[in-house]
Amino acid sequence: MAKSGRRPEAATDLNINSMMDMMTIILVFLLKSYATSDISVKPNESLQLPTSTSLKDPELAVNLVASKTVLVVDGVPVLNLTKVPDEENPGKTIIAVPEDELRGQVVTQLYDHLLEKAEAAKTLGEQTGSADFEFKGEILMQIDSDMPFSVVRQVMYTAGQAQFGKFRFIVYKGEG
Amino acid sequence: MSLRRRSKDAVLDLTPIMNLVTILIPFLIMAAEFVQLAVIDSTLPAIGPPSAPEEEPDKPPLSLSLAITEMGVTVLGADAVLFPDGAPEMEEGDARPPTIPCNSGSVCKGVNDYDWDKLALKLGEIKDEYPDDENVILVPANNIRYEIIVKTMDTSRDDKSSGTLRTLFPYVVIAGGAM
Repeated sequence: MAKSGRRPEAATDLNINSMMDMMTIILVFLLKSYATSDISVKPNESLQLPTSTSLKDPELAVNLVASKTVLVVDGVPVLNLTKVPDEENPGKTIIAVPEDELRGQVVTQLYDHLLEKAEAAKTLGEQTGSADFEFKGEILMQIDSDMPFSVVRQVMYTAGQAQFGKFRFIVYKGEG
Repeated sequence: MSLRRRSKDAVLDLTPIMNLVTILIPFLIMAAEFVQLAVIDSTLPAIGPPSAPEEEPDKPPLSLSLAITEMGVTVLGADAVLFPDGAPEMEEGDARPPTIPCNSGSVCKGVNDYDWDKLALKLGEIKDEYPDDENVILVPANNIRYEIIVKTMDTSRDDKSSGTLRTLFPYVVIAGGAM
């Protein structure tokens, strides 16, 4: 006589205690890291910002990005940078602005873009009459760590000629 | 005949909580800030912050400049503090050797080869003599990397070596090429 017995019920309850523990801890961590900022930095291999001990928070202004390969103003690529032989270190190359884009120390395409931004900002300030929209000549600079000062000087000089006299260098907060 | 009491085990339905967490976590990941940003202010050389109050007549005015080259950092405009017995004589046309040479003794190999602690010490000595001055001009060479310029600005802004934060020269102006 065959034994008839009830088949044991298959376990249907999924134990999600572990998953809930993990989710709760991740949620708490992400809530702590939550932040909103007007300034966004998209780090990539051609833009590595230096670290600084500065504690000032950035505010919204015209955003100029100088990576190893391109100059970008408010998200619009303006000019591709090039690499030339480094005269002081034979065998090595250095980032530079193409010669045909330079008029003295002024980067012509960058100057045109920035001047357009400055004029638009001034017009907006005059039309609104509000101090919040007054053109202050501020420009945010995101510059790659390895950028030589020759290019930094040309970019700053060009911005100065385009009526942007207050530079705000964006850096990562750190111990420096 | 005894009645067997049914034990009522309350089963907590975690489905709504899982839904909430599953939706919240991707949103928070997108909005999470893992790296904080800061700014360093600077102005063009012609538009600088207000100059320091008048110094005593017997003290020469301070015009502090830091020339950054691949050989080190040269402190200029503060000879009264750095060389109280008089600046060393130089042949005409010779460049002044760096006040703070590289740790390696020759060409600096990277940002960590500069002696930032010694630079902070020198700037602290200058600040002791000129406590009201807060301006410094950076004059980097053409091939100096931006990272080194930022580090110089950090070192000249404040000094934490003594345990307390001491403001040195927070107003930075970046001038043209090195002298």
